[in-house]
Amino acid sequence: MLRKIILILILVSMEVLAISNTGVYERNCIPCHRYQPASLEKLFMEYLKTYSGELSLKGALKDFLQNPTEKNSLMNDKFIENFSVKDKTILDDKKLDEALDTYWELYNVKSKLE
Amino acid sequence: MLVSKNKGTNLLRSSEKSSLVRFLALYIVLVTMLLLLLGIFYYQSQEKLMFAEQRTTLSNHANSQVKALKHLHYEFPNNTTYPRDEKFYSAIYDIEGKKIFSTLRNRDINFGKEIYRTGDSIHFLKSLDDYYLGAKYLFIEVPEDLSWREETIRNIMTFGTLTLIVLAIFGFFFMKIFLRPMKNSIMLLDDFIKDTTHELNTPISAILANVEMMDMSTMTQKNQKKLSRINIAAKTVSHLYQDLTYLTLNHNRESKDEWIDLKQLLQDRVDYFAILAGSKKINFELDLKESALFIDGVKIARVLDNLISNAIKYNKRNGSIFIVLRKNYLSVQDTGIGIESDKPMEIFERYTRFNTSEGGFGIGLNIVKSIIEEYKLQIGVESIVNVGTTIRIDFVKGTIGA
Repeated sequence: MLRKIILILILVSMEVLAISNTGVYERNCIPCHRYQPASLEKLFMEYLKTYSGELSLKGALKDFLQNPTEKNSLMNDKFIENFSVKDKTILDDKKLDEALDTYWELYNVKSKLE
Repeated sequence: MLVSKNKGTNLLRSSEKSSLVRFLALYIVLVTMLLLLLGIFYYQSQEKLMFAEQRTTLSNHANSQVKALKHLHYEFPNNTTYPRDEKFYSAIYDIEGKKIFSTLRNRDINFGKEIYRTGDSIHFLKSLDDYYLGAKYLFIEVPEDLSWREETIRNIMTFGTLTLIVLAIFGFFFMKIFLRPMKNSIMLLDDFIKDTTHELNTPISAILANVEMMDMSTMTQKNQKKLSRINIAAKTVSHLYQDLTYLTLNHNRESKDEWIDLKQLLQDRVDYFAILAGSKKINFELDLKESALFIDGVKIARVLDNLISNAIKYNKRNGSIFIVLRKNYLSVQDTGIGIESDKPMEIFERYTRFNTSEGGFGIGLNIVKSIIEEYKLQIGVESIVNVGTTIRIDFVKGTIGA
């Protein structure tokens, strides 16, 4: 019995440690977008097609996340009608920048083209 | 009066030749510069023509590359191979000018020009409306076909040279036409002098002979002065006559060279000009050593007469003339008005005078120069305005006596 309790405690503590080690992006973006029809990768490519450069893309995305409206959303009317515009981010500037940096690093095409 | 070509116009010919050479040199330099400018314009127009021809091809390459980028954008990341084409190289840059991917051989790119040459390639820049893969700028590179440049340079060289030759020939004839009035005027003056000198000889000889023969001891002092003035005037005219006859008649006669005692000759000529110098209260200071030259007697006399008469003519009243004779040189220094010109050697040009306030034709020193050049002597002028002028003749070996 004691063995089982210790094993459960070890597994729980490992899970807690794993969650605390993941970044802002993983904790705040992935969980919601996991259930969205448009993947984060497709959204990135859409933003890239519209804003081109790293600074422009991050700037536009940050502006949208802090103040999301139908006007500054890249999603089409049908999508907005079905899912509405997302809620305003609860992340502060620093954490938002950190999440955007991760997003950029994860999907930018520069390092992948060959 | 006839305007005829004669040997007396040799000096005109040399000055004409000099003017002709100077004009042609200036003309050819200007024409060459003009042709170079035209060549540059032609080269630039050919370059623009080449770019215009290339623009269509490069624009087609750019459009096909945009299509390939679009496909890749929507296939990404399943397909990550940048689209390549054997006809051209390409590169994509984002809106911030950062490179996304490049296959260019010449990396020297310019965001400010649509089409330009870099190294041995041509770059074409297309600005995209949809930023596929984040690309705002697409560069297309093709190797430059240099045949147009070789042909253009060959055309410039061929037509430029031909045009230059034709224009130089035109310039030569135009110059001849422009110089003709000046040439005619100088020849008229030459002929006038030549004709006039013939008429001067007899009366001058008569005046001088009779003045010399007159018994001055029986005259009153007033008449002696008058006779002295007649003598001076006649000698002045005689000196001018000598110059003119030398110039028009004796100049081209065969020289009769012999050893001339310069010291003796100088003393004779100073005595001859003594009355003339005395009229301006000019005194001679002679420092003469023995020296002899192997030279034509008439010609060296013309040289000395002209140097002395000029030293008198352009001297101040109560001035001095210093004549120094050494074995190797002769110098005549006056205390006159000097020469203002910064090129004192110009006084040896024909019809050039020290100063227009004095009479004369400006031929004396030109005669001196022609004789000096004939015997390969060296002449130099030093002059300070209002202090005086020194003319020095250096003798060279071969003409100097022992």
